[in-house]
Amino acid sequence: MKAHSTRPAPAAVTEPPLVRGLLLAAALLFLLLFLVIPLAAVFYEALRKGAGVYWAAIADPYALEAIRLTLLAAACAVPLNMLFGLAAAWAIAKFEFRGKSVLVTLIDLPFAVSPVIAGLLFVLLFGAQGWFGPWLQERDLKIIFAVPGIVLATLFVTVPFIARELIPLMQAQGSEQEEAALVLGAGGWVTFWRITLPNIKWGLLYGVVLCTARALGEFGAVSVVSGHVRGLTNTLPLHVEILYNEYQFAAAFACASLLTLFALVILAIKALIERRALRQRRPSPSRETA
Amino acid sequence: MSIEIQGLHKHFGAFTALDDINLTIPAGQLVALLGPSGCGKTTLLRIIAGLETADRGTIFFGGEETTSRHVRDRQVGFVFQHYALFQHMTVFENIAFGLRVRPRASRPVEARIRAKVEELLSLIQLESLAGRYPSQLSGGQRQRVALARALAVEPQVLLLDEPFGALDTKVRKELRRWLRRLHDELHVTSVFVTHDQEEALEVADQIVVMNHGRIEQIGTPEQVYDAPATPFVYQFLGHINLFHGRAHSGWVRLGGLRLRAPEYQDAKHAPALAYVRPHDIDLLREPEDRDTTLTATVSRVSILGSLVRLELLQMPGGETAEVEMTRERYAADPLKAGDVVFVKPRQLRVFLQDNAEAATPMHWGGHGDGI
Repeated sequence: MKAHSTRPAPAAVTEPPLVRGLLLAAALLFLLLFLVIPLAAVFYEALRKGAGVYWAAIADPYALEAIRLTLLAAACAVPLNMLFGLAAAWAIAKFEFRGKSVLVTLIDLPFAVSPVIAGLLFVLLFGAQGWFGPWLQERDLKIIFAVPGIVLATLFVTVPFIARELIPLMQAQGSEQEEAALVLGAGGWVTFWRITLPNIKWGLLYGVVLCTARALGEFGAVSVVSGHVRGLTNTLPLHVEILYNEYQFAAAFACASLLTLFALVILAIKALIERRALRQRRPSPSRETA
Repeated sequence: MSIEIQGLHKHFGAFTALDDINLTIPAGQLVALLGPSGCGKTTLLRIIAGLETADRGTIFFGGEETTSRHVRDRQVGFVFQHYALFQHMTVFENIAFGLRVRPRASRPVEARIRAKVEELLSLIQLESLAGRYPSQLSGGQRQRVALARALAVEPQVLLLDEPFGALDTKVRKELRRWLRRLHDELHVTSVFVTHDQEEALEVADQIVVMNHGRIEQIGTPEQVYDAPATPFVYQFLGHINLFHGRAHSGWVRLGGLRLRAPEYQDAKHAPALAYVRPHDIDLLREPEDRDTTLTATVSRVSILGSLVRLELLQMPGGETAEVEMTRERYAADPLKAGDVVFVKPRQLRVFLQDNAEAATPMHWGGHGDGI
């Protein structure tokens, strides 16, 4: 190497400082306008009439009931989707079977279909005039305009999150480590808990976090099947809408700020998981050789 | 423990991966399954391990049928090409895994596991790295950990799938010599898959040459190199020169060469192929006999360390040939590009083209036996 070549040559794709500055400014401005200001506005509006009104809005029995229902829907949807996601990803990544690509496409369906249509679909199936309506009515079972409908709708729109996260991860990992465990005498169950699960744990957690976020915030599909019965079938997003339509802005924003807080916490967890996962994938390289 | 394989068949859809494999591996031997990629050698290894099931055929370990035994009950050690180490476990825990997952009744106590892992760590000379994670190791270190992990369960049979395939040349050579020494110490029946003929020749007691899902030849390194049973084995192990010609009533004619081939007494103008190794050719300055030498021109001379390789352009058919000789031999008569030489194969082997089955090697050195 020559002694005088101290300044490194500029990278081929480096832009001039002015262009870089402009790009950065445009991105920041966009973020400010569409994310930071609305976010700040939610909290500003929520607290404008003072902490008393804020607490009253959240401590309202209907609001509490809505929070309970929202958490219930998420608590049902997330574990079920975890099971489904694991099963689907396992099947897709480790086995060859007919219709595999159809299954992969089907998993994406809830992303493609509008949530309102998803909601209507359940009304058509389980509503009073629906396919299974009379059968359900005979047995006095209520799905539409009741809690099961809300859980079903939430489940439907959140199906892809965990499976989508796990499929590429498990495909990339292949099954060599599982095979190694089997040859060493481990059973299927031991192999799953000690080899497969630790390998996909960060991907799985990431999927769970995204799934939870969506389950808590779902509006369209749930709105169609809920029937908006206060204290019974209102989730938090629906409750916000009702309050807003009744001109109770401070209360609406108070509940909205609660949802926003959930979202921020989830974002923080997600960032933490990403950092941990990255660290595990890229540990400090060793300088030793064989 | 010996391994015996009888009438093994395996298809993947329309592709025949293994076609009637019969093979006996004596106890305590180190055997190489050698062949080009796609020849079925890895499939055979995986079937022996129980990671894959055969369509037909039986496998015996030490005389006992294991065909239907589950992979985890076969007591084999398997070393994967890309190591397949458990990424989230330390080197120590990787090696201990096979002992820790044993059923409670046969699981050794913690102190015994520790002792066993430490013994293996010293065997692979990685005592100081017990706490490292696989991603913190070099390729050679990972492969040694993979081997220790496989040996921890005291397997009756050790199976290695391209064990050195992912390593660079220098580490590969070190590691395969180490594997040979290790095998001489442990004497566990071992089978390893490779596409590298040098590796197989250097390490193995027996080589099983495979092609297109069939076994072409089984033999010691010397046997398969010096007396290849088929044209494929000839081509796959080492360099060869190929001469086209015809066999007729016990004689073979290759360009200007004419030689006796009693085994082709019944051949009638049958297309024949002759194989000659580059080091089995003498180059003469003067013509010896019209029927035993070919005339050629030296087109290129390369000095390759201890060897000299000469490329020849053959006069009659325009065919080319490669000749290798030692530096000393070359120094005695340094040929240059453009020199005319007379080519005399010391040993060559003729196969009929349509029936490329067994043939006996021919030696001839101008005994004046009428050729």
